[in-house]
Amino acid sequence: MLNSFRYKSRRFFKLLTRPGWLLLLTTVYMVFSTTWSPVEYVELGEAQVVQTTKPQVCVHTLLENEVQERKIKRSLELVREMGATTIVQFFPWAYFEPGDDQYNWTQADIIVRHAKNQGLRIIARLGLVPDWARPATSEGRATTLNYLPEASFDDFAQYASQLAARYPEEIRHFIIWNEPNLSFEWGYRPVDPAAYVRLLGLSYRAIKEANPQALVLAGALAPTNEVQGSPAGLNENIYLREMYSSGAAPHFDALAVHSYGSTEPADAEPSADRLNFRRVEFLRQIMVEAGDAAKPVFITESGWNDHPRWTGAVRPSQRLQYTIKAFEFAQSNWNWAQQLCIWAFRYPAPLNGYPDNFTLVSPEFDLKPIYYAIQDYARGWERSPSGWLPPPEAS
Amino acid sequence: MSKRARLGLSLALLVISMSSLFLFASWTERPADIAKAFPRGIIVVGVDASVPPFASDDGQAVYGLDIDLANAIARHINLPIRFLNIGYYGLYDALISGEVDILISALRVEEARMDDVRYTRHYFDNGLLLVTPADKAIALLDGLAGQKVAYEFGSGADTELRVLEDKNDPVTRLPYELPTYALDSLRLEYADAAIVDAITLRLYQRRFADWRTAQSYLTRDHYAIAARRDNRDAWRLVDGALAALKENGELDKIIALWL
Repeated sequence: MLNSFRYKSRRFFKLLTRPGWLLLLTTVYMVFSTTWSPVEYVELGEAQVVQTTKPQVCVHTLLENEVQERKIKRSLELVREMGATTIVQFFPWAYFEPGDDQYNWTQADIIVRHAKNQGLRIIARLGLVPDWARPATSEGRATTLNYLPEASFDDFAQYASQLAARYPEEIRHFIIWNEPNLSFEWGYRPVDPAAYVRLLGLSYRAIKEANPQALVLAGALAPTNEVQGSPAGLNENIYLREMYSSGAAPHFDALAVHSYGSTEPADAEPSADRLNFRRVEFLRQIMVEAGDAAKPVFITESGWNDHPRWTGAVRPSQRLQYTIKAFEFAQSNWNWAQQLCIWAFRYPAPLNGYPDNFTLVSPEFDLKPIYYAIQDYARGWERSPSGWLPPPEAS
Repeated sequence: MSKRARLGLSLALLVISMSSLFLFASWTERPADIAKAFPRGIIVVGVDASVPPFASDDGQAVYGLDIDLANAIARHINLPIRFLNIGYYGLYDALISGEVDILISALRVEEARMDDVRYTRHYFDNGLLLVTPADKAIALLDGLAGQKVAYEFGSGADTELRVLEDKNDPVTRLPYELPTYALDSLRLEYADAAIVDAITLRLYQRRFADWRTAQSYLTRDHYAIAARRDNRDAWRLVDGALAALKENGELDKIIALWL
């Protein structure tokens, strides 16, 4: 019996070590190891409610590129635990309608399901043009994902309407495009407020037809000092005025704006020639002048960066102080600002540049000191004393 | 010859012939074509001039380490050069759409972009350094336990220290508002070690040239130049020029000028 077993084992081992078999087994192993992955089962968990004393606190998440569902869930748990009520989340057209009229909502379903379960409100940001909806090249150059030809405006509006219809309870706020006053965001073309208003109008009608309860947010305008005719973009104040002159008013329910602090403290006076947190007050003034004072403003991107060398950054200690001051300032002074959303909660992977220093949580889920500071503020917890020592002095 | 031996021999021959073919192909690769690499007859460089000392913009022109490096590369290739100052988020789009030929902008190598982009060899490493006085070098990892370590609050050094502490016994933390305070703390002997990035240390040592330190990299942060993946000629020319500048010491001179 034992001998027979040894004989069979030896034969089997010999078989395995033959070159042909070895090659076959290696190939099979390689094919399986690269294509097969265990199915991830992530429990939704109990439905949660956000505990907060500051409902204005909001963060911009980037879960559309997060591959693992457990990381989507973990991100949204951390958002809730921080005390934020709302997320701005990107729903890229190119991801969810990869072919004309062919939708794949898998990732969107996962994000929406977990956000809802964590008790978070979603503001959907729409953009990114699929290959089928734009020419491969324009004027001899490859078009980018931000290149939306006028011929595809209707298709974009159709996508917006599909998204609104799919999540009628979960998503009630839609931002049409991102920073259309920057040429990079407008597909490397000169920016065009009138064309943007046409896109806004089509999207507004389509979304309202799908869900009359939905709110359409115009913008979101980027703070920039670019003058008329600049190849890089156009000052957001001029752009908004041109939007109004092109008849934008009936096509949006609220204005989305971006309000970065740059290198100045949160309460620094707004300035027409510098970028700072309070510069958004100019946009508000233009709304008032246009008779649109009843519409709220959503600050859908804001914050400070603490990269050690970028000229637009501050030190991490300043970032922490300025961010909390910004929430306090908006709460006390801007009754027209519905949400103040920090860019960005977490990137799924490092971007390997200064933008990494905008986040509150690292890709590996390390919580930065600023996360704890916002949590203390939002949840009304006693503020931690400053976490640093005075400068060392020669004795 | 047995069946098994024949099969083994065939496999060995296959491997040898494939390797020879590969070696032959790389030996006989044609020289890079300058006209194909830079069809405008000029090297258009994309740069985000908001990261000194690598690149800054004074309203008249861009300047900095990356600009000097780009100029040296253009001289080596023997073509004129033009800079396009682009925000960080637009850099790779500008490269892929053909707006620029290469990017020289303190770029870290990103594996995720390698379908579209080729990176050259690196020209600078701005990783985090564990700095100690020259005569008190602390062995990495094991030696830090219980030592007083200075760093900038909330910075990459803060995160890295947490990673080190996860693997080893805790240290006595000395967080400061600025990384230069962390180095002051070390120089003034409040701290046993400091964690700062390579640029911070180099700039600090310009101010305190007599202060001698020992340092070891805790992390690596390599900067490289990017070219479009489908423009192999541009990548070969630029990488070749960078190799030559490293070889002849010009790269070191450029770095020493700014850092």
